[in-house]
Amino acid sequence: MSSEPITDLLSIDQGISIPDVLTRHPEKIDVRLVGERCRYNIRVQREDLDAVRAASALDLPDKIGASSATQDRKILCLGPDEWIIVAHMSEAARLRRTCRDISQEFTLSTVDISHRNVAFSLTGSLVANLINIGCPLDLAVDRFPIGKSTRTVFENAEIMLLRESKTGFYLETWRSFAPYVCSFFEKFATATQYDTNT
Amino acid sequence: MLLIRCPYCEEERPEVEFSYAGEAHIARPADPSQLNDEQWAEYLFIRTNARGIHYERWCHRHGCARYFNAVRDTVTDKLQMTYKAGEPKPDAIGPSGGDK
Ligand SMILES: [Zn+2]
Repeated sequence: MSSEPITDLLSIDQGISIPDVLTRHPEKIDVRLVGERCRYNIRVQREDLDAVRAASALDLPDKIGASSATQDRKILCLGPDEWIIVAHMSEAARLRRTCRDISQEFTLSTVDISHRNVAFSLTGSLVANLINIGCPLDLAVDRFPIGKSTRTVFENAEIMLLRESKTGFYLETWRSFAPYVCSFFEKFATATQYDTNT
Repeated sequence: MLLIRCPYCEEERPEVEFSYAGEAHIARPADPSQLNDEQWAEYLFIRTNARGIHYERWCHRHGCARYFNAVRDTVTDKLQMTYKAGEPKPDAIGPSGGDK
């Protein structure tokens, strides 16, 4: 996951300008814009959860903050009745069918929010420090272990954060916030570069 | 920064993720058309404004996005406890820092 190549950059005009890659000493800070993804927000009542899981084959995790992941798909439990699915575009048609099917069978909400968010993949020994310049969560690996996810804030912009490895995070934010969020990544990366050079 | 325990996330989380949502346990009148203007204004605007123990609503806006209730001492700004929306009003723990 750490050096996922950019093979599928955003195909639609996002109306924003952000660099694809921001690397300063790749072992320390390596920030990459994640390519186009399809995203669904799903709201399900707890009492229907088991049945929805069985009908959809979606691995909706139980606990708020938990996540499940396959090669092409991540599912994060964001709230008591709220999940977000982020999948590769190759999964888009299948996911749309799944959402349509469970919508007919259950009282729930599935909303396509594919183009609402922009994602960054952050890896390196300093990226927890980088996230901490704008996010007050304790990101020590015993407090925020691999697989933990949450909605939170970064410099007052709402973000969604998932730890994928000891030194790797997946971060999403609203598309219009992305240049703002990224500008802090750049400032931190530049400051760190000067630090290590002197 | 305050740390606030979200009863849904079951974690202490930074204050910046939350937003305040006024006094808790204020029931909307069952039949508003039976109220006169004064009673309706009372329901809408008049609050305890406690010096000491205060029952209040918070929303974990940039977290699980759920509303919940909290018991806070307005004198010390210490949050005594938080509990899920819909749960009964609990007794405050220990004496208030303010006047009775
Ligand atoms: Zn919460």
